[in-house]
Amino acid sequence: MTMDVAQLQRKLREHQAAMFQQGFLDDQFSQLQKLQDESTPDFVIEVITMFFDDSENLLKNMARCLEQVPADFKQIDAHAHQYKGSSASIGAARVKNVCATFRAFCEAKNQEGCMRCLSQLQQEYSLLKNALQYLFSLQQQIKAAGGSIPTQ
Amino acid sequence: MFCYMQLMQGNIWLVPCNHGFPQSMTLLLRFQLRPSITIAISDPGEGSEHTDSNSMLRSLQVLLVDNDDVNRAVTKRLLQKLGCVVTSVASGFECLTVIGHAGSSIQVILLDLHMPDIDGFEVATRIRKFRSGNRPMIVALTASAEEDLWDRCMQVGINGVIRKPVLLHGIASELRRILMQGNIVL
Repeated sequence: MTMDVAQLQRKLREHQAAMFQQGFLDDQFSQLQKLQDESTPDFVIEVITMFFDDSENLLKNMARCLEQVPADFKQIDAHAHQYKGSSASIGAARVKNVCATFRAFCEAKNQEGCMRCLSQLQQEYSLLKNALQYLFSLQQQIKAAGGSIPTQ
Repeated sequence: MFCYMQLMQGNIWLVPCNHGFPQSMTLLLRFQLRPSITIAISDPGEGSEHTDSNSMLRSLQVLLVDNDDVNRAVTKRLLQKLGCVVTSVASGFECLTVIGHAGSSIQVILLDLHMPDIDGFEVATRIRKFRSGNRPMIVALTASAEEDLWDRCMQVGINGVIRKPVLLHGIASELRRILMQGNIVL
């Protein structure tokens, strides 16, 4: 037996609230949701999908730069800067914060610190991705069941 | 005096002059519209103020220049939400191509300062070199909190600055500010 719409809506509200409470998301994500309207019904999912693709590329490139001997700190810093900017613009608060620390280690040419930050970023990114994908799947289930997506 | 200028986000320069006078002085002051004045002009109430600000930005031709896909998509949507007609490009070179095109109808360029090929300062410098006057208006997008950023921007002919991450009210008020300033100056 499938869950009814009200139950799904409650689940979505709780899941979203938890993502904010645990610091995965900040207000910028709410702004993103407000930018979506009838003329752009898939805006959020499109931007987030783009963010996932870019994240995976940036993480791969940062790992490659760190493996080089000597490590290319300047290039890693450029990637961390870009990642900080894109995570800030979608409201991925925890990813953004790790990027800031990452940049400080790049500036200090601290290889160990950079390695730690990279694995932390990989972890934060995968947690965020799973949580957002779950959020979108709840939204889709609600829509499929003919319900409306509750705003926060 | 200099301290006051800085507090007001302005600056003061001594400009050498060879027409008999030893020198002249340039004062650059940045005035901000107070919310109370804005409300006094429009009808009281949030709704009417909102309509007012949007009508000023409606159909404004904006060229957005940002090399990051995600930032570009979000800022573009923000501008569209404000009623602007947006063209977006991913590099300084593309920006120069669009602006260099005869008959370009772009009124405002939103330019990311930090770009890998040629940065925003260089792009602005080149535009001001081959396009006379203050058109199109150029607004810098930056995550930097450097103190001398305003000075550096103004010295290359940039008219405004928007801090990243970009917010709807931040972008709207800076665009309105430079448009009003532009109307007074030109």
